[in-house]
Parts: sequence; C-alpha cells; structure tokens
Amino acid sequence: MKSISLYEDKGTFLNRTAPESKLLYILTAVSVPALTGIEWAGIAFIALSALLLLTGRVLKKTLPVLGVSGFIMLTVVVIQGMFRRENMTPVFSLGPCVFYREGLYFAFQIILHILNILLSFCVLMLTTKPSDLIESLVRRGFSPRFGYVFVSVFQIIPQMTETMGIIMDAQRSRGMETEGNLLTRAKAFLPLISPVVMSSLVNTRERAMALEVRGFNSRCKKSFLNPRVKTAADRYIQAMELALIASALGWRILLWLM
Amino acid sequence: MAHVTALHLKYKYPGSDTLALHDISFSVERGECIGIIGENGSGKSSLCQALAGLIPGFYKGAYGGKVLLDGQEAAHMDADTLCRKVGLVFQNPFNQVTGAKLTAYEEVAFGLENIGVPREEMHARVREAMELLHIYEYREHYPFDLSGGQMQRMAIAGVFAMRPEIIVLDEPVSQLDPQGRKEVFEAIRTLSGHGITIFLAEHNMEQIAAFCDRVALLHEGRLICMDTPARLFSRDDLETYGVEAPVFTKLARVLQVRGQDGLFPVTLEETKRLFMEKRQTGAGVLEWLE
Ligand SMILES: Nc1ncnc2c1ncn2[C@@H]1O[C@H](COP(=O)(O)OP(=O)(O)OP(=O)(O)O)[C@@H](O)[C@H]1O
Ligand SMILES: [Mg+2]
Repeated sequence: MKSISLYEDKGTFLNRTAPESKLLYILTAVSVPALTGIEWAGIAFIALSALLLLTGRVLKKTLPVLGVSGFIMLTVVVIQGMFRRENMTPVFSLGPCVFYREGLYFAFQIILHILNILLSFCVLMLTTKPSDLIESLVRRGFSPRFGYVFVSVFQIIPQMTETMGIIMDAQRSRGMETEGNLLTRAKAFLPLISPVVMSSLVNTRERAMALEVRGFNSRCKKSFLNPRVKTAADRYIQAMELALIASALGWRILLWLM
Repeated sequence: MAHVTALHLKYKYPGSDTLALHDISFSVERGECIGIIGENGSGKSSLCQALAGLIPGFYKGAYGGKVLLDGQEAAHMDADTLCRKVGLVFQNPFNQVTGAKLTAYEEVAFGLENIGVPREEMHARVREAMELLHIYEYREHYPFDLSGGQMQRMAIAGVFAMRPEIIVLDEPVSQLDPQGRKEVFEAIRTLSGHGITIFLAEHNMEQIAAFCDRVALLHEGRLICMDTPARLFSRDDLETYGVEAPVFTKLARVLQVRGQDGLFPVTLEETKRLFMEKRQTGAGVLEWLE
C-alpha cells in the first residue's frame, strides 16, 4: 500500500479516539497559552503532547517532522539571539558572534509556540486515518468535494507517478535523445512528456465521469458506511477541552476588565 | 414499452466540427444485451456516455434528439435519479478507483454513501455485489493493490450495488490480461443473468457474438445496423466499416457453410454443429482453433 500518509494504525488509545477530540485538542493547546499568556501553559501542553505521542507509540515518527522544522528554529535562535533590536545583555559568544539574553528569550518563546503547534498537530495526524478525519469533518458540514480531493490526492498521486514512470521509461527505451545541446534535448523531451500529459488529462476526465456515475454530484443527504466513533472517553475529553478553552477565555476577559 | 430508446440522437463535442453521433435511433427491451462495435473513433464511447446521461450532462457541446430510459428523457433527469438508473463502467479500472477509500469494501460502498443509502442496507448491498462478482475475499485489500481484473470487478460491483436497471460497459476488458478478461466477462454474464439491460462496447467480436442478443455497428458516428450477431456478421460489407467478423464466421464464409436461415455461424458451438451436420472436414480445424 502506497500512500503519502504519516498515519499507521498501532491499535493504541489515540487511534481509537475520535478525530474531533484530537482536533479540539489542537485548538485547546494553541488557544489556552495564547489566551492566558501564561508561558508555562505552553510548556505544559508541549509536555502533554509529547506524553500523548509516547503513549500513541509514534514519538519516533515525530522526530523527522521536528528535524525539518528544527532548521527554522535554529535560524530563529541565531537571528534573534544576535540581531534583535532590544538586545542588551550578552550571554555568550561563538567566535565573533555574540548572543544576547533578550533575543534568546524571544527566540525561546517563538520556539515554544512552534513546538506546541507542531506537536499537537502530530498528535492528530500521526494517529488518525486521513479518511476518518475528513469523514468526521464532512459529517459536520464540511464540503464532501473538498473532502474527497483532500483524501484522494494522497492516494492517487503516488499511483500516478508510478504510471508516469512507466510511460517515461517506455519512451526512453525507444531511444529518446538524452544527449546533445539543450535545444536538442528540449525537443526530445516534448514527445517524452506529451503522452504523460495526455494520459493524465484523459485519466482526469475519466475519473471525473466515474465519480459522476457513482452519485458524487447527487444532492441527496449523504450516508456513511462507518458509524461515527464517539466513545464515552471522547465525551469526557471533549468536555474537558471545551472547559479549558472556556476558562482561558474567561481569564482573558477578567484580565481585560480589571 | 421499450426500456431504452434513442431518437435521432446527435452530438458534437465542443470545439469539434464533425458529429460524434449522427442521427442515431434504436430501441432496446428490458434485459437485452446489446453489443456496440465499430472502428476507433466511430463513436462507441460517445454513445455509451450518451446512454449514461453524461452527454449532455457532463460534456457540453451540441446535442440533439433524445435518449429515453423507461420513457423518461435522460437529459432531464437529475444526477441522483440518473445514477440509480444507469451505471457506466470504463475502460481503465485504475481511473475508477475513487482513491478516497482504503479498502475494496469501502470503495464499493462509495456510491451508496453518495446517494444516502441507509447503513444496514449499504452493508447488505456491498456484500451481495462483492460476492456476486467473486471479490468478497478481497474486501480488506487496498484498492490500488488489486490486479486489473479484480479492480475492474470492484468497479463493476460499485456500479452494480447502486442497483441500476441498465449497465453500460465501455471496453471494460481492453486493458486487462487474459485472466482478467475472463473474470470480467464472467462478471458481465452474471449481470445479464440478473435481468439488467446491458450495453457492451467491445473490439473482440468472438465475445460480442457469444454474449449479445443484438449488435449495433457504428461508423463515423452513424448507426449502420443493429441486428442479431448472425445477421450482422453475415453482411458482406463489414470491411468498409473497419470491423471484422468473428474467426468462426470468417472460416465458415470461406468454406461457405451456412445455417438453415442462410446466415453464417458466429460462435464456436454453432460453427461446430454446422460443420458436423454438413460432415465437412473443417471440424478438425475448429478443434485446433479451440
Ligand atoms: N472529448 C472529446 N472532445 C472532442 N472530440 C472527441 C472527444 N472524445 C471523442 N471525440 C471524437 O469523437 C469521435 C468519436 O469518439 P469516441 O471516443 O466515441 O470513439 P470510440 O468508438 O469510442 O473510439 P475508440 O475505439 O478509440 O475508443 C472521434 O472522432 C473522436 O475524435
Ligand atoms: Mg472508446
């Protein structure tokens, strides 16, 4: 099975949790620190996400995601640490580069935000089947068309690239020019690519028709093969998440009134 | 009343200046199996799409005449009624996999979800369709991992589960290997046995002759003739329309072996029977062909 998806069913608690609970978790993790402005709230949610990922047995899969964003975070540290306008108190220096406390602190806050968002998204994405996620959104009124596009690209693209590879190989084995100057090669590339483009155009049209005959554009109320998952645990979790958001909001309003 | 009727059906693709379908009229009874033959570009796919209401619903372009399904005009049906009435199966099984589902079972249920079939009934229909087409055992497989023949049968099951009265198949086996072809032809035979009216566009004349009650011959968008396989394949002018008769018919023509009705045989069994009756030595040739 080839699909661009980070999800893998490990049969854990998180896999069984309803997508809505996890979506609401992202909202909570992001909004509570932002609303309250309490720094340790962010840290607490990062810790909670990490714990969840650990119990979901997907912590290892989080690392590559962190690796990619790690580069951005490093840039933030370097730029803010060295060049932030408010920088006054030097902390340490690497050769000619001096890092300041104010900038580093600011970078630290940004990184907290990034990590918090990233990890809470990981909790959702790494433990939820994409089609389940979209289906739960469609049930709540999200457009089925968008939903379809969203899910299917992850399946169809890997399949299409495979077909394209086959066509390209076939053309190449018929002795397509791969030598000569740029113009020769460009000319040779055209017949190489045109069957690929043609076939994908035809395929797209055929696919659209195939969807049409299966009632994709029917104006009926959709039904769902799989029942909605919402366990008792989900009910508690969602109530708790909503309560947290509500109290953070209350706190904000209180601060604002005083 | 005829089940499917075409009345002076005309169609021109947008941006094209020749008619893809040119004044086509015919009528078909419920449960009939109709073959559609013709050379490349003769309009087979266009006719299939017109029967399934995709022309003019999906394609714009100049449209004239009408297609009546059970007396109702296809062009005036909404998407929902239309897809409950007619199913269409395409050439390329891969393009019929929605890509939105992770198992063959869910894939077959896709259309049923769209038209809002209740869950219990959905399970019953999906199971029935998959068992009928012998793919129930692959229900947990990832749709793209199935073989061509299995994938095509999954597509047919997806259409069959919608309970259409008419199923149109546009060269459903042309991209399959011999094993896949055999599987899919068996599937089509099963559908036919369920009283579904079938239209089958196909290049393999032996299959057409063996399967169909009547055959429509298209050429440059016109309906040249619509008749029983025996009468159609006994015509002398087939070559002018770019089609060939089944090998058995050609052989019988060479040896001038005709049935009592003066027509050439079109299937292996018939040919064999006639050869035996006439005590011609050609029977040996047939055994070899078999
Ligand atoms: N999307 C399109 N736009 C414009 N013209 C088209 C389109 N599809 C088909 N045609 C033209 O309409 C005519 C009939 O085509 P159609 O695809 O129906 O033939 P066919 O009998 O199915 O051929 P084949 O055996 O190759 O599948 C052809 O002349 C073709 O070039
Ligand atoms: Mg065609």
